[in-house]
Amino acid sequence: MNHHHHETNESTNKDESPLKVNRRHFFSQLSVGIGSLALGSLLIPDLFKGETDALASQPLGIPHFAPKAKRVIYLFQAGAPSQLETFDYKPMLRKRMGEDLPESIRNGQRLTGMTADQDKFPLMPPAVNFKQHGSNGTWISDFFPHIAKIADEITVIRSMHTEAINHDPAITFFQTGSQQSGRPSMGSWMSYGLGSENKNLPSFVVLTSRGKGNSQGLYSKLWSSGFLDSKHQGVLMRSGKDPVLYLNDPDGISRSEKRDLLNEVSALNKLHHVDTGDDEIESRIAQYEMAYRMQMSVPDVMDISKEPDSIIKLYGEDCQVPGTYAANALQARLLAENGVRFIQLYHQGWDQHGNLPNEMAGQAKDVDQASAALVMDLKQRGMLDDTLVIWGGEFGRGSYCQGNFDTANYGRDHHPRAFSIWMAGGGIKPGLNYGQTDEFGYNVVENPVHINDFHATLMHLLGLDHEQLTYKYQGRRFRLTDVAGTVVKDLLA
Amino acid sequence: MNTIKNRWVDYFVLGLSIFLIFCLLFESYIVLPNLVSWLGRFHPLILHFPIVLLLIAIFLGLTGKRIPEVLLSVAVLSALITAILGFFLGMGVPVKGDLLFWHQWLGAGTALIAAFWYLLNRSNLGQMYYTKAFQILLLGLILFTGHYGGMLTHGEEFLSLPTEEPMDKIPENPLVYQDVVNRILDDKCIACHNANKQKGELLMTSFDQLIKGGENGPILVVGKPDESEMIKRIHLPLEDENHMPPEGKTPLDQIEIAILEEWILLGASHTVRLNELPKSERLVSLISTMMIPNEAEKWAKFPQVADSTLQHIASDYLSISRIASNSQALSVVFFPPPEYNPKTIDNLKRVAKNIVELDVSGLPIGIAEIEAISTLTHLERLELDKTPIDDAGLQKLSSLKQLKLLKLYDTGITDQSMATFSKLPNLKNLYLYKTDVSQEAIVRLKKERPNLVINDGIDTDIEAFFVSTDSIQVTK
Repeated sequence: MNHHHHETNESTNKDESPLKVNRRHFFSQLSVGIGSLALGSLLIPDLFKGETDALASQPLGIPHFAPKAKRVIYLFQAGAPSQLETFDYKPMLRKRMGEDLPESIRNGQRLTGMTADQDKFPLMPPAVNFKQHGSNGTWISDFFPHIAKIADEITVIRSMHTEAINHDPAITFFQTGSQQSGRPSMGSWMSYGLGSENKNLPSFVVLTSRGKGNSQGLYSKLWSSGFLDSKHQGVLMRSGKDPVLYLNDPDGISRSEKRDLLNEVSALNKLHHVDTGDDEIESRIAQYEMAYRMQMSVPDVMDISKEPDSIIKLYGEDCQVPGTYAANALQARLLAENGVRFIQLYHQGWDQHGNLPNEMAGQAKDVDQASAALVMDLKQRGMLDDTLVIWGGEFGRGSYCQGNFDTANYGRDHHPRAFSIWMAGGGIKPGLNYGQTDEFGYNVVENPVHINDFHATLMHLLGLDHEQLTYKYQGRRFRLTDVAGTVVKDLLA
Repeated sequence: MNTIKNRWVDYFVLGLSIFLIFCLLFESYIVLPNLVSWLGRFHPLILHFPIVLLLIAIFLGLTGKRIPEVLLSVAVLSALITAILGFFLGMGVPVKGDLLFWHQWLGAGTALIAAFWYLLNRSNLGQMYYTKAFQILLLGLILFTGHYGGMLTHGEEFLSLPTEEPMDKIPENPLVYQDVVNRILDDKCIACHNANKQKGELLMTSFDQLIKGGENGPILVVGKPDESEMIKRIHLPLEDENHMPPEGKTPLDQIEIAILEEWILLGASHTVRLNELPKSERLVSLISTMMIPNEAEKWAKFPQVADSTLQHIASDYLSISRIASNSQALSVVFFPPPEYNPKTIDNLKRVAKNIVELDVSGLPIGIAEIEAISTLTHLERLELDKTPIDDAGLQKLSSLKQLKLLKLYDTGITDQSMATFSKLPNLKNLYLYKTDVSQEAIVRLKKERPNLVINDGIDTDIEAFFVSTDSIQVTK
């Protein structure tokens, strides 16, 4: 039933008179973004409200059932942080340090080209100590002293597993449910299913930062809306004075002059549209309107100068430096407060094939305090109960050493069979330790959570049935979870 | 010819009456052959005939019209047969409860009084003034017999008036058996397994009876839900004739089944309270889930709202949406507009009873808006943070009895609002970070309302740790 509902929403507008200015129509026809602005993801405000009611007929995106979470802040750690130096404590690796990974454990796992030629796979213990924190004794490495302080707020899942062994397919799989590019990202699915909350802002925003560790590329396909209407696409915003490039008016142009200009241009465009009936003209009018609206809304929600000193200290002084992870974390809270549904941070630099102890210490420093601060800050504002915070990368890392066996400077290769993430708030049971790996941290032995299961659970928390939210494209219905996925009920509060 | 036929009817009436009296007198000595017991099953089928026929006869009699002889004959014969079959059916019940006792004797009384009336009529005494008294007595007997019979079939509560809350709320820290398990049994099982019906010789009305079991022995194995007959039957496929509750009755839902299973697993205690169980037990979270009133049900009574109404109210800075696609409950969020218009909130009047969530954070609201909010009596979640609200304004909101969550952080609220909080009985979460409420007042309120979660900012130890150990080097 529900997919029908969505489909009809998407298609009925096409039948309406071409003279009616209708944003849904604009966006459903939109296939070309305007430069790097990605403005296509924005909803257009009702500029001519009062003149025509058709303008106000913004379809209401609504959940299938009452949601636990109204928004998501996804702290994506791009490059794949090692579970063995973060949340999965394996003392066995120290006991059997240097021994070869038993074949019974590896059990045919394929390797990347980087270690496939190694003739030995010596077990490498973590370079960092672990301690138990919180009332459930959650094991957390000393790289994360601040996250350790909020152990009772977070639920650690140590039994995540995926299918891909290289970054690009793995991160694409995590973001879109498919290893091949072209499907809508999870933020776009959420926007499609739930609609936007604040009409002056996109419902899906992306913020990126980069640590000093070994990095892999990030591509806009990760926040693409795929075959969905391009208004569901993630909008990349930058920290600081110019969050969206080329959004501000040139010097000497006043806002009312800009308004007049837009009115005249859109009148001309409408005339042209009557002549040609080209839907792209409507799209263009809509894009201009959206940009105009964002000129007002974006600087306001991106302005962290009004934050009191106590908040700056909470996130760490670094949050005043545009482009840092800490600044993005604080920004994420502001966007969440202003009705953005899906806020995704990417922090690059977690790909430790070598020099892992040093690089991970640096990466952890970038994200530890601000991630924990964000959770605490949301909590004190009463937003943690309906905001789902997720922290984690695209896969895990191997139990054995990559490169020379040196406990002070080793590497770990990619590993898809087991990795750890954590979640907080938004209908997730707090303080839980979910799932287990074997003594080597190599295979999941209890409560495995596949990426599809993760997506199904995420959607469930947002009030969406992952089997119902579909979009018909090229003759078949698509889902974020394709033909798989089970909601992990044990995680639900 | 006619008289001979009538005489045969007389004999039948007399014979059946004597047989019925014999049955009633020697009930405890009678053992019924199986086939006769089976005949008893036809009691519910034919009992409606004598009721209708006798009522017609009584109506004719009371209004002074002639009662056709054949009508009275058939009515009386069917009444006697019904009573006798009813007796056979009642013999199958191991212990007769009050309902069955009264139904049986009233039913027998109805049949015998009807038979007596027939005989009076046959003796041409039918037009005497006292026959009207018989008819009225008979009317009363029919009504009461029918009523008791109805209660036997449909349960004693069947005719009670519908109430707002069909069941008592589970109390805070409930006794697991008395307040939770028994409540489930009461809802789903006791209609048949009570002192009056005792299907399968099983009573579920008390803990001792539950442990004792029914005709096939105990129904639960302490510590082993999988081996407990009760749980096995619940899990049978719906079409299996041994499935419980039987076809046509409401089955147990997943939470109810899980609670029964976990309760048996944990030893089927009859004294344990919720807070005596470890928090990690599944039973604890199951019961907690059950204690939350079903929101969808509560919201189902809200007036219908059309999508077009919502679209009309919505604006660039006002988002209004359904909580879920099939729900009439609404969530409203205001975003601070460039030019604030205090009248905007009046647009919500049309859907005032449907709004369960309202967010006006950061809006420069005045007293008029607060008064408008105070009429949204179904509000469960209200976000007033970063607004100019004060103690006097907040006082006006004590009408919001359904309120569960209230955000007041970053406002000028002081200790004076403590009195307002105590007027909000359902409040579960209160956000007071960055207000002028004193620590002492918060401590007092926490003591007064142990189930109210008050958030007044980040734990001071954690905050101190964050401030002192800034792990990030400024990378200027």
